[in-house]
Amino acid sequence: MSHTNRNFIIAYALLVVLPIVGLVGVLKKGRTLTAPISVDGTWQLHADPVRLSSLPCGKTLAQNPETAIAISQSGRNFTLTFASGPKSTASGVLDGTTLKASLVPAISWSAEAGCGAGRKLDMVATVDPNMDPRSLSGMLSVDDCPSCGSVGFRAVRLAPATKRRLR
Amino acid sequence: MPDLFKLVLQIAVILAVCRGVGSIFRRIGQPRVVGEMFAGILLGPSLLGWMAPGVSAYLFPSVSLGFLNALSQIGVVVFMFLVGLGINPKELKKHGHAAVLTSHVSITAPFVLAAFLSLYLYPRLSDDSVTFTSFALFMGAAMSITAFPVLARILAERDLLGSRLGTVAIACAAVDDVTGWCILAYIVVLIRSAHNPTSIWLTIGGIVAFAVIMIYGVRRMLRRYETIYRERGQLSENLMALMLLLVLTSALCTEWLGIHLLFGSFLMGAIMPKEQKFVRYIVDRFETITVTMLLPLFFAFTGLRTNIGLVKGQEMWIYCGLIILVATVGKLGGSTLASWLSGMPAREAAGLGTLMNTRGLMELVILNIGLDIKVISPALFSMMVLMALFTTFMTTPVLELICPDRLLREGPTRVAAKESTVPTLAAQSVDRIPA
Repeated sequence: MSHTNRNFIIAYALLVVLPIVGLVGVLKKGRTLTAPISVDGTWQLHADPVRLSSLPCGKTLAQNPETAIAISQSGRNFTLTFASGPKSTASGVLDGTTLKASLVPAISWSAEAGCGAGRKLDMVATVDPNMDPRSLSGMLSVDDCPSCGSVGFRAVRLAPATKRRLR
Repeated sequence: MPDLFKLVLQIAVILAVCRGVGSIFRRIGQPRVVGEMFAGILLGPSLLGWMAPGVSAYLFPSVSLGFLNALSQIGVVVFMFLVGLGINPKELKKHGHAAVLTSHVSITAPFVLAAFLSLYLYPRLSDDSVTFTSFALFMGAAMSITAFPVLARILAERDLLGSRLGTVAIACAAVDDVTGWCILAYIVVLIRSAHNPTSIWLTIGGIVAFAVIMIYGVRRMLRRYETIYRERGQLSENLMALMLLLVLTSALCTEWLGIHLLFGSFLMGAIMPKEQKFVRYIVDRFETITVTMLLPLFFAFTGLRTNIGLVKGQEMWIYCGLIILVATVGKLGGSTLASWLSGMPAREAAGLGTLMNTRGLMELVILNIGLDIKVISPALFSMMVLMALFTTFMTTPVLELICPDRLLREGPTRVAAKESTVPTLAAQSVDRIPA
């Protein structure tokens, strides 16, 4: 074997083969990691319209109590938009199985009687990871208004996002 | 039915902004494609949607994006055919150990580093619907890709296609792209099969059978194209239409087999005859409409999916910085080290590493597939798009800094230009070639 060939084999083993062995180890180690629970996708919301309309900023939501909400997730962070009904985007954080989001009504929404600009709707919900499809249940309340009370809601995931483009 | 007025308006706005920003980037010495990628981001929620949400909602309502996406995907299908067309397997065999070692290290180094980074990012930017293996393999494939066409274009602009640096870089980039796409195909199959009753082995068997038919059967038939071109000096409209039909059929086959449209069009390009004049003829026929109209739509569509607003807070920007660092160290560092160990002078080796670090449009294509199959989250997608922009943008100035033209031209490393059968794409009108 020539000197050049030997050097090539050594370099190849060190720079290519060894890292591939390392990659196998990384993949093995990675299997023990846990990522945040998946909430990504479209969820069908169910809430009592009568109780919703009694909440400040709740009338707009009450007009469409069965609206779908779309959650776009990036790790522990997510954004939430209403697929139909009020135009607004909320951002939130996932802590274990608990979702916390703060929703700032859009201008047209905040114009409803009793809502007002700068008011926020807080959403706290718990995901049930054992249900298939996944479901969540929680409370909707108005920020800085303890006397306003809160309204319970449930949501069921319509389709896991990973199946969106699958045949 | 699409709102035709809105669709034409969207195309007009996208073309105007992409050409404008592309021209500005040309003036600062950057390839036009970097400007067009940047223009796409400007049209998305990161700038237009943030500064003028009303205008953004009017111009790009979410219901209209399906049509824009369909048009842009057709552009990418043709573009991938052109990329495959530019890859010449004979070129890869010419450079011996240096090219083999450099190309393999330029894949393994960023790939393994990306897998290590995935240990940190997976619990932070992914969710439990994605397995760690899929996440890490995707990150590896996305970081190890090289924008073969933009690399060829930079070399052509600097008259380095005939140099050792140029020929080795082209050979390595071609190996990287073919390998990267094979790995990506495997990941797509892996993820799709998790939700599909069809066995993964059946899918892989189908893909292998398809590849064998294409390489050993269809390729022989395609040689007729070259013969006809040699005899007549041109191809009839019917033959060109048939070629397009073959590209689309191949794309449909790979989509049906469970990978992606783009693999089929890439493979069809790769098995086409490689005679230089023939390839140039084909590229000329397909390129103008693809590069000037359809690819800007893809940049805009990518920009509309990129929301830099999702990269908020110190923590997220640290993740983004880490991604850029790992991508650069893996690709630039790995390629530089391997080519230097293969006997290339240090500066030239660094130049090669810099060129290999160019990701361009190829990266955006891969990232869009990743976002579609949900193996990466929207925030990670945005970070990776920033990484693609950064690494593509840095190529020209860093190359000029560490490896000035005069040194390469004066050095003993230049090979006779006529020996080089380098990419036909690069030999084309330099200004039009995409990344």
